Amino acid sequence: MTRPRPVAEAENRLVRFNGERDAILSLVTRRVTDSHLAAAERSPDASIEYVLNDVAYSEIQRHERDSSPSGRRGAGRWRDLAGRLGRMNEVEKRGELERLVAHYARDIVGNFNPRVYRFANDVMPPALSILFTPMSSLRHGLGALDSMSRRIRVEGELDAVRTACDRGTLIVTPTHSSNMDSVVIGLGLKLALLPPVTYGAGKNLFSNPFISYFMHNLGAYRVDRRLRFGLYKDVLKEYSTVLLEQGYHSLFFPGGTRCRSNVIESHLKLGLLGTGVAAYRNSVVAGAGHRRIYVVPATINYRLVLEAETLIEDYLAETGKSRYIIEDDEFSRLGRIVEFVRKILVHEGAVTIRFGRPLDPFGNGVDDAGESVDRHGRRIDPATYLADAAGKLDADHQREAVYTRELGDALSDGFRRETVFMSTHLVSRAVFDAVVERTRQSDIYRLLRLPESAVVVGRDDVCRRVEELRRRIAAAPEWGRVEERVAVMSAPELLDDALRALTTYHTHPVLEPAGERIQIGAMKLCYYYRNRTAHIPDEADAADRSAARW
Amino acid sequence: MVTGDRAALGVVGAGSFGTALAALVGRAGHQVVLWSTTPEVVEEVNREHTNRGRLGDVVLPDAVRATSDPAELAERARLVVMAVSSVEARDRARALGAVVDGRHMLVHAIGALAGPDVARLSQVLHEETPARRLGALAGPALPADLVGGRFAAMVCASPFDEVTREARRLLNLPPAIRLYTSRDLPGVELAASLSGAYTIAFGMADALGMGPGPRAVLVSRVVAEGQRLVAAIGGEARTFTGLAGLGNLLVRTSPGPDDRASGYQFGRALAQSEASGGPPPGGDGEREPEAVRAARVGVRLARRLGQRAPVLDAVARVIDGHARPTQAAAALSDTVAMAE
Repeated sequence: MTRPRPVAEAENRLVRFNGERDAILSLVTRRVTDSHLAAAERSPDASIEYVLNDVAYSEIQRHERDSSPSGRRGAGRWRDLAGRLGRMNEVEKRGELERLVAHYARDIVGNFNPRVYRFANDVMPPALSILFTPMSSLRHGLGALDSMSRRIRVEGELDAVRTACDRGTLIVTPTHSSNMDSVVIGLGLKLALLPPVTYGAGKNLFSNPFISYFMHNLGAYRVDRRLRFGLYKDVLKEYSTVLLEQGYHSLFFPGGTRCRSNVIESHLKLGLLGTGVAAYRNSVVAGAGHRRIYVVPATINYRLVLEAETLIEDYLAETGKSRYIIEDDEFSRLGRIVEFVRKILVHEGAVTIRFGRPLDPFGNGVDDAGESVDRHGRRIDPATYLADAAGKLDADHQREAVYTRELGDALSDGFRRETVFMSTHLVSRAVFDAVVERTRQSDIYRLLRLPESAVVVGRDDVCRRVEELRRRIAAAPEWGRVEERVAVMSAPELLDDALRALTTYHTHPVLEPAGERIQIGAMKLCYYYRNRTAHIPDEADAADRSAARW
Repeated sequence: MVTGDRAALGVVGAGSFGTALAALVGRAGHQVVLWSTTPEVVEEVNREHTNRGRLGDVVLPDAVRATSDPAELAERARLVVMAVSSVEARDRARALGAVVDGRHMLVHAIGALAGPDVARLSQVLHEETPARRLGALAGPALPADLVGGRFAAMVCASPFDEVTREARRLLNLPPAIRLYTSRDLPGVELAASLSGAYTIAFGMADALGMGPGPRAVLVSRVVAEGQRLVAAIGGEARTFTGLAGLGNLLVRTSPGPDDRASGYQFGRALAQSEASGGPPPGGDGEREPEAVRAARVGVRLARRLGQRAPVLDAVARVIDGHARPTQAAAALSDTVAMAE
């Protein structure tokens, strides 16, 4: 449980955002412009004309896909730029570059309105809490906030995260499996008494006026996924870098888009994550190495996932595409929020958010004081990773890209270690394993074609397997942990807890009890919930741990 | 810490390779600090400029200084080459971890896997030290070639370009040694380890008198298998055909000194023991060659990755006593031919 710990107003650094907004925009514009000018000096392949031409070409292509009058006008403007490029002198090209950088930076930048924040902070949660509360207890009215903490449990290395939060800037990096993740992590931060964070959201999310109003005024910044050229990505990354340098806690979903298969993400998108190293390097170069950046792995663990059916269908059809910015987040559809609240969050222990111990931008752990430590607990000065062969601090993008890959590996390990297994995951795994063992088929596409009679398993067998799985998980903390609520249940109780969830929510029951046997009603969903444990090897494979290291 | 061009090369381990490398680099005018845990060796290197136990009468240049204090190595060197056996690698890395920091670049020259959990050596360095800029040196550079000034080549692999740049600054000393570079660190480490394992197969084949035709088939099948395995761990297949894989394999299966610790000689001894009816090698508490451990982990790795590895399978069956060398050779020649 979280312990009472007041969060001082000063800890919400976003309240000062509007005062710094212009300075941030100006800094982003100057840095991106200067870096392109410097690159152009070093190599003719990076000339300003090439950069501007790339922007104009991409923008013309984008506008040509829009057949509306505004699309045609837009394409015309960019054609005009492309036509003028050859006649521009260097001063004019430089001016055009600066203008474009400033334009894209203004398009991205967020806003923070303290009044909207207070409204969202003080009024919204109780309102949501009413939605979470079953009708029978509605009489408790707005006092029902407390009930939310029974449905969304927050746990983990909270003291270490709070220390990191006081000492430096957080990059909160949760797993991503549901459309409701950004709402849930927002509530989770509040329940954990952590300050709000800023994050990049797909521009399309701003199309709903109600949601857009809140997002726009609570520090979210806009990411236009249609703009795929290098200059825009540079502006976006520099904006994120500057936010971190200035102390604004941020949120990235490093797994990209929602994980379709429900496995713990391991192939992470590193684009924005790399801005953590860049921000720290800038601080060190500026003589402020004490201003640390902390990356906080967090797992969002749902007992039931609202959109599990469509996600697993997508996965099996291999249509999932990876992106690292929230784009298709359905919380922009209010109806989905209400559906989520009424169908998922009514269950006690519906969601557990677990925060792991923070990492530094190089993937090292940190001690209780927020100092980087190696695996033997020896303190490290993280600034030493940024010195070149001559011992000078420098910006080596190739070096920083490798550090970020290693940070991604450390995050993947963190995701697995901080995974919380719900009864639905354990029982689905047990049932799935029983079927695989009996049919000697592990290929999901073959399993989907099995006759009904082949997908029936005995209760006792499932209970035995669940018990064994719990024992193995307890012995291997690197795989995760069993939710506290179900950890103390007997295996039959745990099975019943899972069955209550899996038989009632989805369109088709995932599992159906039939006397002393359990019938798989929806193999795809059984596979989906089982996948949360996919990183736990079979008993035989687990014995061969050496090969797993490779 | 000394930095820039004045920084010395650090070498961990005063074995034959480490001392030969130190001698070569010292002769080129770079300072070298050699860390040995044997006080007599430190004394001999610093007083007499020799390491007779390892390199005979070869005279080491004044630029090579030995120390028993790893802190001195960490203070004077920025690039450190670890050249110890895989058996002691973890302990030495742990001691090194107490004195190095994020500025150091650690490169190992150990063509094998470490410890009971058969980790890649860069993983061991990652676990035991705070250094992150890691790499590996591998290739057919024999100590005798290095001190004799004969043509040698190695590859330095690291995901960090600055590590390979620094390694080239200190170690690329043509014509004595040319240092190639690669970003494929896992591929180079696995290729170096597997090439050792495959030498057992060549030792057996040669002792059985297989002849040049079957030997050539074995070479090509080993190359195909090694490439598959390197690719399966995410490395580049061609890494196996480079210095770390094929280069290592050829040098270790060529006529040379009778090194009983080599996989090639172990393979020969296996086949000879079958012919003579004598006991297989490895008895009498003799230390198991690195190649044997590499073969066993190679087989496990192949199974886990779902890769066919008939040559490694055959080697592992023989070393574990499940088949005789002649049976393994027959089984290999019976292997179903598939698309190459």
